[in-house]
Amino acid sequence: MKPKVAFFDFAGCEGDQLQIANLEEEILDLLGQVEVVSFREVMKEHSDDYDIAFIEGSCTRLQDEERLKEIRKNASLVVAIGSCATIGGINSLKNYQNMDDVKKTVYGEKASLFDTYPARPIDAVIPVDAYVHGCPMTKDEFLHVVKSLLLGKKPEIPNYPVCVECKKNENVCAFERGEFCVGPITRAGCNSCCVNEGTKCWGCRGMVDNPNENSQKEVLVKYGLSVDDAIGKFKLYFGWQGKKK
Amino acid sequence: MHVLSKEDFSEFINSLIAETSLNVVGVKSKGEKFAFGPLESANQLRLDYDVTILPPKKYFFPQRETLVTYDVSSGYQSKSLADVKPTIIVGAHPYDIMAMLHMDEIFRETKSDPNYLTRRNSSVIIGVNIQNMSESCFASSMGCATIDYGYDLMLTDLGDKYAIDVGSHKGADLLNKYSKNVKKALARDIQSVGKKKQKIMNKTQQEFGFSSELIPEMLGKFYEKTSFWEDHSEECLSCGSCVLVCPTCYCFDVMDNPDLSLKTGERGRTWDGCLLEDFAKISSGENFRNTKSARYRHRYFKKGKYLFDRFGFVSCVGCGRCSSNCLPDIANPVNLFNDMYDESLKIGIQIDPATIPDIKIKTGDTIDYAPKIATIVKKVPMTANETMFELKLDDGSELGHQPGQFVQVSVFGVGEAPFGVSSSPTKKDTFELCIRKLGNVTSKIHTLNEEDKVGIRGPFGNGFNAELLKGKDLLFVAGGLGIVPLRSLFNYVLDNRNDYGRVILLYGCKEPRELLFGDEILSLADRDDVEFKSTVDRCPENEVWNSNVGVITTLIPQVDFDPQKTYAIVCGPPIMYKFVIRDLKSHNVPDDHIIVSLERRMKCGVGKCGHCQINQLYVCKDGPVFNYSKIKGIPEAL
Ligand SMILES: Cc1cc2nc3c(=O)[nH]c(=O)nc-3n(C[C@H](O)[C@H](O)[C@H](O)COP(=O)(O)OP(=O)(O)OC[C@H]3O[C@@H](n4cnc5c(N)ncnc54)[C@H](O)[C@@H]3O)c2cc1C
Ligand code: SF4
Ligand code: SF4
Ligand code: SF4
Ligand code: SF4
Ligand code: SF4
Ligand code: FES
Repeated sequence: MKPKVAFFDFAGCEGDQLQIANLEEEILDLLGQVEVVSFREVMKEHSDDYDIAFIEGSCTRLQDEERLKEIRKNASLVVAIGSCATIGGINSLKNYQNMDDVKKTVYGEKASLFDTYPARPIDAVIPVDAYVHGCPMTKDEFLHVVKSLLLGKKPEIPNYPVCVECKKNENVCAFERGEFCVGPITRAGCNSCCVNEGTKCWGCRGMVDNPNENSQKEVLVKYGLSVDDAIGKFKLYFGWQGKKK
Repeated sequence: MHVLSKEDFSEFINSLIAETSLNVVGVKSKGEKFAFGPLESANQLRLDYDVTILPPKKYFFPQRETLVTYDVSSGYQSKSLADVKPTIIVGAHPYDIMAMLHMDEIFRETKSDPNYLTRRNSSVIIGVNIQNMSESCFASSMGCATIDYGYDLMLTDLGDKYAIDVGSHKGADLLNKYSKNVKKALARDIQSVGKKKQKIMNKTQQEFGFSSELIPEMLGKFYEKTSFWEDHSEECLSCGSCVLVCPTCYCFDVMDNPDLSLKTGERGRTWDGCLLEDFAKISSGENFRNTKSARYRHRYFKKGKYLFDRFGFVSCVGCGRCSSNCLPDIANPVNLFNDMYDESLKIGIQIDPATIPDIKIKTGDTIDYAPKIATIVKKVPMTANETMFELKLDDGSELGHQPGQFVQVSVFGVGEAPFGVSSSPTKKDTFELCIRKLGNVTSKIHTLNEEDKVGIRGPFGNGFNAELLKGKDLLFVAGGLGIVPLRSLFNYVLDNRNDYGRVILLYGCKEPRELLFGDEILSLADRDDVEFKSTVDRCPENEVWNSNVGVITTLIPQVDFDPQKTYAIVCGPPIMYKFVIRDLKSHNVPDDHIIVSLERRMKCGVGKCGHCQINQLYVCKDGPVFNYSKIKGIPEAL
């Protein structure tokens, strides 16, 4: 029997589901291995009978927690896809601002009617079995994770920083180009794609298990960033993780 | 020596490029930096470069490569090396050529690595003397700023022409076949090459404040200076840049990449490094180098001492890549060794130059990374988490192991992991493994059934010397899973019972339900030629246990043995060794009468990938069985 899979979205941009819809040829192969029972991006039907649940987006409201717990009950494997779901992602930027201000900016005068709380990754609410990091996640990594799960394997996701892949790709380091990069504390797995393209790493995959944040800040400052700006570099994607510590 | 005008040199390179059977690569610019890359035209060459981002070792030991492919229906197949094109490397600096010579030793020692050596042996090295030295280069301090061997051709820029020194027949043939207007060098050309080389040798951007010959000895005296290492590694990001860019680093990781069909796929290797946090971590969670400072120290020891002891060279060529790539700027060997030397003066440590060790480099078979296929003929669950598998090689051959050796077991698409062989070599047709469910490979194996196939490489490593133990009293001390490799010797001894003296087995596990080989072991109580004692750490209320309760060491005082006649054979979880050995020592057992079997993270199993290293030793190659007297002074061992 083919495992049944379902896709769910919470607060996020659905960029990750688009990535999957864009898998084109590969998805045909993949569909040979699984049966998609729920996928808002490309199909209308919906079913609650599934084995693997892919969840996109972060949890930003208390009401979402109920829905997540329901999914956890139905699925034997829960996979968080995309930064918002794996690490809280860009949504946790708002964690640095005053909550009331956030509500006002987003909802205007009706703010008090809406209920929003610090954005958090899915595993802050329910246990998660596997992660597809990235903002957006890449299809290669999505396939890597799916293949692993189908083989009954815990997907191997690196616990070393982006610099490792960046060196293997023989990039000129962002710091040597006068840019600032958080690759040294960001979890690898994207094949340092942004640096390969000539830019730098923003940290979309979240931090490695034991990042040396102090040293990273010192490096940023040594290369000319003000201390405040150096701390700012951490906010974009490390909001939830940074707060947890 | 010859000379070639720059124009003719360009033509020479262009005619090499035009030859489709050759893969011509050279130094090109990359942004503000330089990198070796495929040449489309001689114009791209930048022989005035200072240093390339990565060293040319990537052509022999690429960042990622396939070792084997597999097909669930037909098994594993080594990646064919038949289509490897000869690579012509244009523009290697002398220090990088020296680094290749170091790598050659490493990849051919004991067992030779076919992937590296095939590429390396077919390559042609066209070196160039340094014209611009990078800011962090200290090659001259390491004696590697110039070199007189190791290249096929060596270029020196003489303004409007290159002087070309021919270093091999290969180089001479290449020059003959592809170049025009090569002239014999005149005396003054030879002189200017000599002068240029002299100038490079005298130039250094970074300087040791002492003789670099002192490095191995000095390191030896600093191993235990924990605060020295902690202070220097405080800012380490564990980013691995220092080892990934190093021309003499060779550690790698191995991983399986299944295709979407999940039925076929490949097993590849990729660069890894001892500075990364999980490099020495095993699936039970133990990390054998769990601090930044231990990992940081390991790199310096590897370069400055372990490889010196093994091959007689300090394996740093002074290219300076590590220092220029370390963002917190703590990876510069010159700074570190200078600090170390100052410290040694301050605390008054006397350092003499090391005597070059007596090197006996063994070379042997070529490694076959493709596992053979074996069938599970019997699967016997033993406890909730441990299952015994009896395996038979499909080609009908015997495994042919020594007690204490291990095999690498592969599961298609999932990976490979080492397991001690648990059956005695006297059992010939099949062999047994007892596997605890922990991570990916082990969990997947547990889902396999009789008739299912796995891959096997090995047997590997040094087992127990059953001959040496003949006539001796044997005291087996096994903790938990440690019984598995000991059982192969134990059963061998029982099968040859008359050759040995007393046989005592002390076996402990956490709780009664974790007892392995239950029936087999408990039936030992009925034999009068074996003395057997068992213990559990604790017995929960709902379980029955009629024997000793307490850790394994509580059994030692319960047996009476003659320490001079007895050999103790010890295997168990990492934490057990210290205590058991302490107690054996207090019973006056001599060091060389204690034999242990150790466990470390493993990938290759054949002494190449670096994962299983304990200081200078490789557990997969020098162990897993060690005589205590050999590892007593090795701090990472126990
Ligand atoms: C010489 C030797 C003999 C062993 N004998 C046995 C035995 O008889 N029975 C048994 O159950 N276990 C044995 N082990 C331990 C066994 O190898 C690990 O439990 C196993 O590698 C875990 O693999 P995994 O894929 O399930 O775990 P994961 O956590 O998924 O590990 C991934 C990979 O890391 C490496 N790795 C992780 N842990 C270890 C480890 N402890 N040792 C070596 N490599 C590791 C392997 O390459 C493994 O495939 C032995 C280990 C060694 C070194
Ligand atoms: S560009 Fe960023 S990721 Fe790449 S090596 Fe430099 S710091 Fe590391
Ligand atoms: S390089 Fe950094 S920002 Fe880019 S995908 Fe990788 S982790 Fe994300
Ligand atoms: S020493 Fe420097 S380059 Fe090496 S791992 Fe540490 S921070 Fe990275
Ligand atoms: S240790 Fe540093 S200087 Fe020495 S060879 Fe390696 S990268 Fe070059
Ligand atoms: S163990 Fe040695 S070869 Fe391996 S990465 Fe470390 S320094 Fe380099
Ligand atoms: S060196 Fe690779 S396992 Fe020992």
